[in-house]
Amino acid sequence: MSCKEVLESISSYLDEELKEEIAVEMHKHIGKCSDCRAEFDTLTMTIKLYKHSETPQMPAGCHDRLIKTLEIETMRAKQGGGEPDPNPTGV
Amino acid sequence: VAQDLKALPDEALVLRAQADDERAFGELVGRYETKVYSLAMKMLRNPEDAEDVLQETFLRAYRGLKSFRGNSTFSTWIYRITANSALMKLRKKQLPTVSIEDADEREAPINIADWSPGPVEQLLTLETQQAMSDAIEALPAEFRQVFVLRDLEGHSNADVAEILDLSVAAVKSRLHRARLKVRNHLTRFFNDTRGQKAMGARS
Repeated sequence: MSCKEVLESISSYLDEELKEEIAVEMHKHIGKCSDCRAEFDTLTMTIKLYKHSETPQMPAGCHDRLIKTLEIETMRAKQGGGEPDPNPTGV
Repeated sequence: VAQDLKALPDEALVLRAQADDERAFGELVGRYETKVYSLAMKMLRNPEDAEDVLQETFLRAYRGLKSFRGNSTFSTWIYRITANSALMKLRKKQLPTVSIEDADEREAPINIADWSPGPVEQLLTLETQQAMSDAIEALPAEFRQVFVLRDLEGHSNADVAEILDLSVAAVKSRLHRARLKVRNHLTRFFNDTRGQKAMGARS
């Protein structure tokens, strides 16, 4: 396995999506090649750091403002002013 | 009665909401508002923009509820609306020079300094968190969507593909490139800060 192939497969390796024999090859390569090991270790740590980052909390008042907006929309819809959206996901 | 709604699965609430039961829609809002806000905030890195997307997402969901046929789950549908609303907002703000083709990937490893040894808690300083935030901001919008959904929100590749209406292969490709870009950003950050500390120690 070449360094180029290792680089291309690091993400799949981390996501445990490689076939076992390829994963074994990769593991062997990383054991011998310090450049690829640094690539692998820093990418692993990058993902770990983001997984550890905190979930943003909704600021105070955010929930109430959302409910208010939806109440106004409900009233508009009841008065016949709301437009139904046939494609809300925009895809 | 409110207690009854809490016990119902999403699909049942959607059916009720489609039959103009406002409380059922309110229960769905309660179940998903923090998740929608979190996804928007992680993509946009700005509380006002995230709140805009939160409001827009539920307004669009409310207006489009009758066209929701249950081809996907409600959660996939609401994340799709969120991700697309956030993408539209990002495209308006992002400089046109930031393009999906503007990749700084390499074909062969170079001798990068391995900044990874040590516990996560030790690396995760306030400065590192700022650098992590900057790294996401430097990602083109389409990469950012995939990276945030996969590595920050923890959805599977298949879920991300469904949310973004992409093939799983496209998700994997964007994810890999996004991870490399973010990692390269952090490598530059750690090299700079450690270089400065080493200089300070010497003088």
